[in-house]
Amino acid sequence: MVGSTAQEQSGQDGQSLRTGRRRPVLVLSGLCAVLAATLFVAILVGYRGPIGPSVSDHMSFGQAIDGIFGSTSDSWTFWDVRIPRVALAGLIGAGLACAGTAMQAVFRNSMADPFIIGVSSGAAVGAASAGLIGLTAVFGVYASPLLAFVCAIITVFVVYKMGTAHGRVYVDTLLLSGVAIASFLGAVVSFLIFIARQQFDQLIGWLLGSLPLVTWTQVGIVALPVIIGVFIIFIYGRELNALLLGEETAHNLGANPESLKQMMLAVSALMTAAAVAFVGIIGFVGLIVPHMMRLIVGADHRILVPASTIFGAIFLIAADTVARTIITGQELPVGIITALCGGPFFLYLLRRSRTGGIS
Amino acid sequence: MNLKIDGLSFSFGQRRVLKDISLEVSDGEFVGLMGPNGSGKTTMLRCLTRFLPSESRAVLVDMKPLHTLTDREVASIFAVVPQSSSTDFPFTGRDIVSMGRLPHMRSRLSGTRKGDLDAVQNALDITGAAHLADRAFFQLSGGERQRIVIARALAQEPAALLLDEPTVYLDISGQLDMMDLIKRLNKEKSLTIFAVLHDINLAARYCDRIALLNQGRLEIIGSPSEVLTPEMIQSVYGVEVAVRRDPFTSSIYVMPRTISTSVARHGTRVHLLCGGGSGGPLMKTLFDNGYSVSTGVLNVLDSDYEIANELHIPVVAEVPFAQISDEAHMENLRLLNEASFVIVSPFPVGPGNFKNLEAAENALVMGKRVVVIMPSDAGAIDFVGGKATTFVKNLISRGAYKVSTVEEALGSIRS
Repeated sequence: MVGSTAQEQSGQDGQSLRTGRRRPVLVLSGLCAVLAATLFVAILVGYRGPIGPSVSDHMSFGQAIDGIFGSTSDSWTFWDVRIPRVALAGLIGAGLACAGTAMQAVFRNSMADPFIIGVSSGAAVGAASAGLIGLTAVFGVYASPLLAFVCAIITVFVVYKMGTAHGRVYVDTLLLSGVAIASFLGAVVSFLIFIARQQFDQLIGWLLGSLPLVTWTQVGIVALPVIIGVFIIFIYGRELNALLLGEETAHNLGANPESLKQMMLAVSALMTAAAVAFVGIIGFVGLIVPHMMRLIVGADHRILVPASTIFGAIFLIAADTVARTIITGQELPVGIITALCGGPFFLYLLRRSRTGGIS
Repeated sequence: MNLKIDGLSFSFGQRRVLKDISLEVSDGEFVGLMGPNGSGKTTMLRCLTRFLPSESRAVLVDMKPLHTLTDREVASIFAVVPQSSSTDFPFTGRDIVSMGRLPHMRSRLSGTRKGDLDAVQNALDITGAAHLADRAFFQLSGGERQRIVIARALAQEPAALLLDEPTVYLDISGQLDMMDLIKRLNKEKSLTIFAVLHDINLAARYCDRIALLNQGRLEIIGSPSEVLTPEMIQSVYGVEVAVRRDPFTSSIYVMPRTISTSVARHGTRVHLLCGGGSGGPLMKTLFDNGYSVSTGVLNVLDSDYEIANELHIPVVAEVPFAQISDEAHMENLRLLNEASFVIVSPFPVGPGNFKNLEAAENALVMGKRVVVIMPSDAGAIDFVGGKATTFVKNLISRGAYKVSTVEEALGSIRS
């Protein structure tokens, strides 16, 4: 029972809540410590070489430390392969979780996720068609991410227009148009895959979400929208709280629900599109991380947003570390790991929301 | 805070929902907004909060036009308490109350200040909701939630509370608790209250003034006793009511009478000899069965007299506690003569109203069918030393028909 969790924690900490919210600070510092530990482990664990199959010899702890701080032959592995990869995983996890938190507030539905407004399906169409229409010749390795990003934004815009009437965003309509357009674009993607058989492996890897060769440039490109997006969502935390009691209540508390919804949709879409453009569709992070954090810190977005952001980073870094180490010499798409963890957890939440309170 | 509404109108597309409403609410007043469903009450509140884009030029708050204010300024003037609030998300009571500080935040970057924490704690204490602060909001009962929501409204530090049927989902004790709390805030914090209320009696009991809307127009605004007249309620709600005064609270209260479905009148006339509250149910039964009823002689203040008046039945009246005068008696005989049946209810007979029994005898002489209701347990209704009992027995022996219940009386005049 979620409620009882909330009650227990308040029972113990009612006093500290009253005198200055010591508990949230504690939780956030704890999460930061876990993040640091995860980073440490993720950077040190793994094999030599960028991706598994060809090179699969282990590195000792000493060699790893030397590699990071000295200038051995392993330094390259760390500074140009593993650290940017971990950084990108962290940024994407943070971005997806934060956008997911915002979307759940906008839709007032804890089953919403950052892909609900069509980002993933639009990006998939872009990624699948990039090779076909010959953009690779012009933009090189950035062709696919660029087209994925552009298609994601166009799709979100179409979904948004479908869910808007007379300058008002109707979240129910928005949700349904998101679902409808996603299934339509899913068919388009299947068709594109069917045509472009030679790129099948690469596309499947992208559709499942994976973090192959990561460069610092990619990290930089993703970092910008994610950091700005997280900051904006964080400072609107109070307004998101009010929005969860309904648009009229939000209005009556002095928040402007229409511009708030528009702002959150735009920011989440940009962040999510930037995140998926490079690494593909990593599911469930944006859905379950806000859920899990709500169980721990409650629904107040002033704490929930930073907590989800940090835990999103932790979750995806850990998942990616598992993805690249669990099968020797083989790298799994990280989306498989997140879905393997996320699917059952989602079902558990769904069952509980049917039988009692929602978290 | 002084609220002046001057010619407020609002339309949903072509449909005009509010038509030229003008009223003023002065500082510290408790004003109820009433009217049938669809009369525009909630719309009016939403125009005040600017949730609906009305011609807000018509609304002046402390002489400032509403449309010149920012959303947050409006939110720090009006705090709204809706019918009910719910969320599936695990907010605590304190989280909900803290939301009331939103209009007062300096910038999005500023953190929670001590003033915010104090305002929240204060609001919780005043509303008696402190024990709910750390519980999950969605686990609270309807009444507890409303209490938290009122605390949130107070945390807004508003000049006025706008309430939209705050008690509609509460049980009777919850309703009274809630209204008492609102009244207390009104008195102690001199908070202006403008509340949509459905329950006429709650409104009559708590409001200083009541504004009555009908089909988007302001029908009347005034004190409860000015507004809640049977005529006004009949014309606005289409319901017949009796308005009485509660001896304990001295506020008025309203009781619904017959729902005004028209009964087919077949014209058969029945005259009822009653008194002391014995005739009311019979009068109502006869009336509902389509009989035309007349009655007499009744003292004013007798409840039978009031019921006869409410049913608009011809009644011969006598001043309170006075003996039946000859004039009244003659008038009673005249009405009795027009009737086809005469029913004598088991009324307490004293020297003052003995003439009503004599009227029954006259009826027998006139050849009317007389029905006497004598319940089997009829004891102390004879206050003239057995004279009444003998008289009634005599009536029966001379052909009056004796029954023991209202239903039997009805049956006997049907056959």
